[in-house]
Amino acid sequence: MAKLTILHFPDPRLRTRARPVPAVSADIQRLAADMLETMYAAPGIGLAATQVGVDQRLIVVDVSEKGNEPRVFINPEILARAGTETMQEGCLSVPGVFEEVERAASVRVRALDGNGQPLEFDADGLLAVCIQHEIDHLNGKLFVDYLSELKRQRIRKKLEKEQHAARSAERGAAPAI
Amino acid sequence: MSRESPRALAARVLATVWQGARLDEALRQAVRLDYPARDAALVRELCYGTLRFEPRLEFWLTGLLKRPLEAREPELHALLLLGLYQLSEMRVPPHAAIAETVEACRHLFKPWAVQLANAVLRRFQREQAHLMTELPQHEAAYYAHPRWLLERIRQDWPDHWREILAAGNQRPPLTLRVNRLRRTRAALLVELAAAGIAAQACGFSAAGVTVLEPFDVRTQPGFAAGHFSVQDEAAQLAAELLEVHAGMRVLDACAAPGGKTCHLLECCPQAQLLALDNDAGRAQKIHQNLQRLGLAAEVKVADATQPDTWWDGRPFERILLDAPCSASGVIRRHPDIKVRRRPEEVSALVAMQAQMLAALWPLLASGGKLLYVTCSLLAEENAAQVDKFLAAHADARALPIAAHWGVASPPGRQILAGESRMDGFYYACLHKA
Repeated sequence: MAKLTILHFPDPRLRTRARPVPAVSADIQRLAADMLETMYAAPGIGLAATQVGVDQRLIVVDVSEKGNEPRVFINPEILARAGTETMQEGCLSVPGVFEEVERAASVRVRALDGNGQPLEFDADGLLAVCIQHEIDHLNGKLFVDYLSELKRQRIRKKLEKEQHAARSAERGAAPAI
Repeated sequence: MSRESPRALAARVLATVWQGARLDEALRQAVRLDYPARDAALVRELCYGTLRFEPRLEFWLTGLLKRPLEAREPELHALLLLGLYQLSEMRVPPHAAIAETVEACRHLFKPWAVQLANAVLRRFQREQAHLMTELPQHEAAYYAHPRWLLERIRQDWPDHWREILAAGNQRPPLTLRVNRLRRTRAALLVELAAAGIAAQACGFSAAGVTVLEPFDVRTQPGFAAGHFSVQDEAAQLAAELLEVHAGMRVLDACAAPGGKTCHLLECCPQAQLLALDNDAGRAQKIHQNLQRLGLAAEVKVADATQPDTWWDGRPFERILLDAPCSASGVIRRHPDIKVRRRPEEVSALVAMQAQMLAALWPLLASGGKLLYVTCSLLAEENAAQVDKFLAAHADARALPIAAHWGVASPPGRQILAGESRMDGFYYACLHKA
């Protein structure tokens, strides 16, 4: 297993529309395992392949309190949506930003699991929000796209500044202690 | 997708408090209902605790840093303080406290600060025993109060200042006030016991119940049904002192959120009560409380110092003036006062209190009673304020308060913070000739 590098907004690769997974091969299973490891280490509750620069329709999710219920969804699709719910979301590709987003309160989902078995189920609450957030990634969409243009620009500036600060720190600026 | 880590979220809440926000308000906005309950409890504990010990944590942090943090890094500053709070006061295993706090740097997207946070917290852990032994030599840090407030409390209470400051660092008890129109105190105690909540009757307030293990009152059905409210015992003493009788015209001049207003009506529902507050948002809370408790009063959004804008010219037989004050008596409940309150604000509050007393006195009927209340411990806002008023008003005299609570602080009576587990309150009863 290996931890993967997560791309950060406004990296253009986050705007890729991912291609369907043709077959659940050993490579795909290794990718899912690496993505789970990356998600837990971040820490996050969901991660899409697009976020680690892989052009495949694959997401991993764990919304349990203890972080012991990993789920893998391959080629996930939303068949139906109902209701609306507003929740505060954050994204591993937009670190340090947490904003409210309105989404469907419940969704019917079809996907393959990590072994290639077909699944169809209803999700609500945090799981529904998380699945919609991750499927958005596979379509090149980010949660900041739901915010106002002004807010998105502010976030972009803040992140570019922090990324710059991080690069200068790596170049060896002396710590304050 | 990610959710904010409790430590990163607490650091962001604390940063807004340093920018002037009230802690309870900042927490309400930041900790949303969908945030996991256990994490929400940790965020509250980190915020309240860090502010409660802020002067001490700040002193340590200054010593641990080779050079001060940039002023533009309030979140990182808050994160380091709450790291020190966990190591010095919380029962979190130190390695977990350090690892999680350092990790929160990434959540705040300050990965460049990881090394700094790690170094500060580990150095504190190494030097903790030594730092603790030298703490008594640094008063503001030792007593964990801002220097100016410490000096003023020592000056005003030369025999009690240490106990007062110690009380300011305590966690407050949860005290309830039974709505005697709907329940007896004995019945409420039975209901709480049945719900597994240990509680006992208060010693001074006939309506008071102290809960030994604080709980979320909203989980108890009697709360929504208006059987009880949350109110410190010291604040419950106002209703008894004011002696409201049926049919009396009563003014509650700074009423929001309506705790004392409602208590007055629970004692005497036939009173004609006018509740004022100059903040429309807070006045809304008076309506909510009246409704929940099944009480009726007239509520106006108005400035108590400008009676010509709201007074109908008919005198009041009772006036409750719960004046805006430094809140130095309720620091244990609102530890953000330690960082938000500035000494110059106290002078402005003292002027405001004098203005309110002078503006409301003409509205009091002859033979009527005005109860002056603060949740302050500072003489300037209390005894000295009322003395000044009495000297300027020949038709005013202070009624003695015969009580077993508090200490005499003529012309009124002072409850010292922490005394019989109560908040610090000042009461003076003024009678009009």
